[in-house]
Amino acid sequence: MDLSYQEKSILGSLAAMVVVYGYYFASVLRDTSHPEFGGGNVTRLVFAVVAIIVIEIVYHIVLALETKVEPKDERDVLIECKAYRNAYLLLATGAFLVIGVVIMAGLASDSAPTRIIVTPFLTVNLVLFFMVLAELAKFLTQLFYYRRGF
Amino acid sequence: MTKGHIRNNVRKLRFLGAEMTQQELAEKIGVTRQTVIAIEQDKYSPSLEVAFRIARVFGVPLEEVFQYETTDASESTE
Repeated sequence: MDLSYQEKSILGSLAAMVVVYGYYFASVLRDTSHPEFGGGNVTRLVFAVVAIIVIEIVYHIVLALETKVEPKDERDVLIECKAYRNAYLLLATGAFLVIGVVIMAGLASDSAPTRIIVTPFLTVNLVLFFMVLAELAKFLTQLFYYRRGF
Repeated sequence: MTKGHIRNNVRKLRFLGAEMTQQELAEKIGVTRQTVIAIEQDKYSPSLEVAFRIARVFGVPLEEVFQYETTDASESTE
């Protein structure tokens, strides 16, 4: 398959996000006994963020050495605009959902049978989850338009 | 209402123009090779500026490179 520099760049970033944040959220869900910040939870979060940065830098250095770097042209920018629109819609939806969860948790009485305890740890992870989803939506939209044509 | 579609002769003009490669054309008009491919396949309509640059590279008027074809939408729905 003949992939452009932009497509290779997006594919690499997409793979890195899926692997690193997939591992991060899987480990958070596995260990729900301590839904608070402290110890391993902070380390995991910092590790995930640092890992993404390191992988992205290394991948793009290798990509630049192996593929001719092409600056974005008008079509790349248009596709990126469409991708950002989808990402924004997803992020805005996520933000409203998180706001809803926090408000509902605040309104629910202590005796409610299904009361959600919204800790800062849960809120941060929910926000992070929707940020990752938005980024994935951006990458997938870009790949879709590059393949289908725009 | 009429529905429009932009067609182009970029591929033909490229071959007539000393068999210029897609990469060569891309470099001359300041876009990537993938964008030239998308234009040739009628999957992407370039901006006016890029359209004029393409016409200038081939030394022909814009209308010779791009044609705006219309079809009556009411005809197609009937």
